Amino acid sequence: MTALRILFLFAFGIALFIAPMGQGNYIIYVLCSWLIFSISAMGLNLTLGYAGQISLAQAAFMGIGAYITALLTMAGVHWIFAVFCSISASFVIGLALGYPALRVQHHFLAFVTLAFNTLVFLVLRNEDWLTGGSLGLVGIPRPEFGPFNTMMQLPFYYFVVVCFLITAAAMAWMLHSPWGRAFKALRENPIRANSLGLNTTRMTLLAFAIGSAMGGLAGALQAPLVQFIEPGSFTLILSLKILLMVIVGGSGYFFGPILGAGLVVLLPEMLRFTDGYYLIIYALLVLVVMIFSPQGLIGLGQKLLASFKPQEERGDLKQGAQL
Amino acid sequence: MKRTYLAGVSLTALLMAGGAVAETVKIANISELSGPGAAAGTVWAHGVELAVDEINEHGGILGMPVEMKEYDSQTDPQVSRALVQKAIDEGAFALLGTVYSSSTVVNMLVAQMNGIPQFTASEAPSITSKGNPYIFRTNWGAQKGMPKIGSYLKDQLGVSKVAIAWANTEFGKGGHDSFVSIVEDMGLDVVADIPSEQGQADFSADVLKIKNSDAEAVFIYLTQEEAARFLMEATKQGLDIPKIGDSVLTSEKVIDLAGAAANGAKGHVALTIAADEPRVQEFADKFSERFGYSPDYNAMKGYIGAYTIKYGTEMVGEVNSQKLADVVHGLCLDADEYPGVLIDMCWDDTGEVSRESYMVEVVDGREQVSEVLPAN
Repeated sequence: MTALRILFLFAFGIALFIAPMGQGNYIIYVLCSWLIFSISAMGLNLTLGYAGQISLAQAAFMGIGAYITALLTMAGVHWIFAVFCSISASFVIGLALGYPALRVQHHFLAFVTLAFNTLVFLVLRNEDWLTGGSLGLVGIPRPEFGPFNTMMQLPFYYFVVVCFLITAAAMAWMLHSPWGRAFKALRENPIRANSLGLNTTRMTLLAFAIGSAMGGLAGALQAPLVQFIEPGSFTLILSLKILLMVIVGGSGYFFGPILGAGLVVLLPEMLRFTDGYYLIIYALLVLVVMIFSPQGLIGLGQKLLASFKPQEERGDLKQGAQL
Repeated sequence: MKRTYLAGVSLTALLMAGGAVAETVKIANISELSGPGAAAGTVWAHGVELAVDEINEHGGILGMPVEMKEYDSQTDPQVSRALVQKAIDEGAFALLGTVYSSSTVVNMLVAQMNGIPQFTASEAPSITSKGNPYIFRTNWGAQKGMPKIGSYLKDQLGVSKVAIAWANTEFGKGGHDSFVSIVEDMGLDVVADIPSEQGQADFSADVLKIKNSDAEAVFIYLTQEEAARFLMEATKQGLDIPKIGDSVLTSEKVIDLAGAAANGAKGHVALTIAADEPRVQEFADKFSERFGYSPDYNAMKGYIGAYTIKYGTEMVGEVNSQKLADVVHGLCLDADEYPGVLIDMCWDDTGEVSRESYMVEVVDGREQVSEVLPAN
């Protein structure tokens, strides 16, 4: 890790802590939603960006996580236990959903996951006795940790920051472990990875399950943030939004989804002064980024950086190209 | 010392004078300006705009101009919640919106936490049943209209078997549940119970099921665009049983979208520009002149909401959120004295509204009042 990188991480951490100071509740709320969506998008980035498995079901996992946490905390169970259940359930269901991933790839897999998302939505909506149906669940309590009560907006923000940092650290550790390299090998060339002795079946399932579990965690944080959940919040549109975060930010880059979530959550807020035009401007900006840099914003940044760096070409290679 | 004291006094006086000049009454409107609810939200927002401009032309509230900020909820409950928070952070002392009940049930919690009164267009029964002392309707909730519709079906139309087509959302489910329980209590049979999705485009299967169910009348409880699609499909398939609804079914937007298919649809409505009231007619003329289209009940609700804030605040005599909420509970406004409410209306302790209502029928693309029903 270079000194520059350490400095950047340090600055990012400090920025997270001072960002809400002196801000109104609304800005703090938006920052919370940015961090929560970052967690969810980081999960999808693992499945899509690192392991190369497209999933349109991230919203469903957020929904599963949110409903489990909501139901348990409303029944008086502490958030810590509820979040554990949310993550475990999402992990297990993700594992089960990973099975079709072994048989189908690319857009076929996208359809399988899309169908799963719709299925989860229908279950959440039709099972009134448990989920409250289309009326949703209202009045989800925010967690308390001894004297630290997250009922107010600012303490809740710091609570989300802590969850975010733990998740990001775990993710970074995993990506630098043999698992992380195995995920990348799976994306680049599964046959070759297999021939090198990598258990591709296990890795594909793991990528799905871990990505889904992070969706579950994001849901478990979103339920107490909004204090209301309804099935309509976890439809395909949200899955597409999370996919957009990963792709616009830069899939396969660690900071890609965090940047992408920032863009998708914060940019519409910043553009609100343009009144009726903000959705149009927003859509155009996304189009432009995608056309000029399919690797997303991080890819665009790297391209720009590379163009400023002095080109060091090896004479022998240049010679070789001419031969 | 004396000089310092004098300087201090004059500075304070200057600041106070400056403050008085700059003082405005801040209110906010959060509505569905984009997304699936845009049809209803925009009309509501126009109603609010018209009222606020009129209020400002006539000296504002307590002599201070009204500064209204508009926010687009994108028909997304979570965005609406964030925006209610934003509006409150930015100093709004009273709120208007949202139209869709699924948004209102979420964002009214934020207004409640901050003690800010909120005047909503939503009609889901759950909104006023949660004991929130800061929520006020601008029209009565679905549960109040249902007994009137039930007795109309039973006594006037002599129906014994009824079908219901409803939107499977917060709005539709609330209405559906109270309708079904009321008509079953009255001894009617619900022979077809057909839920539909928000934004559903194809109603052929829904209409077919109702057609095959032997229902003698159908109760349509859908949002505007879906209601129009349903009516068009019903005409296409020749479903010739009475089509009954509430304010939505016979609203201007549905008539616009469904065209001739809307003819014959009947609705039990609280607010309609077909009402034989000079104030309502005057409002409709002003609205059409300004925005280029006819207003519907949502426009009337927005207009009434904005005026209620004015009247309530002036009764209190100061810009105070808590006092405004307190004064509106149990308040009755007589439209002769308070013309901004258009028709006499009262609020109870839960923020629920009562006023007289009408049975209307769409005849040649226009709403016509067939009966005036008293307030309950």
